[in-house]
Amino acid sequence: MGLVARKIEERGIPTVTLNMIWRFQAAIGMPRVAAIEHPFGRPYGDVEDRDVQSAVLRAALSQFETALQPGTVAHLPFVWHEVAKETRWHPAEPSPIIALMKKRRG
Amino acid sequence: MSTEESVHEVDSWRFTGGFLRKILSGNIPDPPTHPPIPWTPVAKPLSAAKVALVTTAGISMRGEEPFDMDGERRRPTWGDPSWRRLAVTATCEEIEVNHLHIDTGYIERDLNVALPVDRLRELVAAGEVGSIADTHYSIMGYQGASSAALESESAPQIAESMVSEEVDFALLAPV
Repeated sequence: MGLVARKIEERGIPTVTLNMIWRFQAAIGMPRVAAIEHPFGRPYGDVEDRDVQSAVLRAALSQFETALQPGTVAHLPFVWHEVAKETRWHPAEPSPIIALMKKRRG
Repeated sequence: MSTEESVHEVDSWRFTGGFLRKILSGNIPDPPTHPPIPWTPVAKPLSAAKVALVTTAGISMRGEEPFDMDGERRRPTWGDPSWRRLAVTATCEEIEVNHLHIDTGYIERDLNVALPVDRLRELVAAGEVGSIADTHYSIMGYQGASSAALESESAPQIAESMVSEEVDFALLAPV
């Protein structure tokens, strides 16, 4: 996704990328990053949690007005409402590549 | 919030588990290796801007060609590099979600968890955001061994579409 942000920005449209794995910034170089500590699949918040969804959207959009230089990473202050080990985000079956890697490892 | 004001560093690994953390960490260079970062200065306030959303959730409109999951099952190091337009009024009943690396059930119950179409409309109604673009966009985030097709074909096409629709700001969210 960072590659897409770069292409859009290069074409003259400012971008913000809301990102859980903001550390990919080191490899990709996204113009504006809003880092968020949410589980995969639900970057804006949980199902029907309108208040958090709105607040995350607002916080991400605010980066258009506050980020002043290329590569700015803003760490958003949201805390997920479940503890990590009880947070379910995995697919029902491992993805094909994960299944393959686990098989190769034996 | 600027970087300087941050009091909390986001933990990228909080939800990954050890196996996935190890795989993902291997793709993060230290020191950074990214090329020079492109930059387009913001030319208008959010309250006057036309905003488009982009998701990597593999969302497509029902009745249109879905992202290709069978191809990835046959060839696990490949991920569908194509892209889709999404109606800005899309509802869960009108979309399908194809992504083998997450539980897509949450998005199928509430699109706003990954593509906040309703929340964005509310911000426009409240006057905080100027307007919504003609379409939103989806790719499917898993690209396997090569992101070349995404980078050379889909990404420039999405950018060109946004230019032609006079989008002011693009907000992207990987899932």
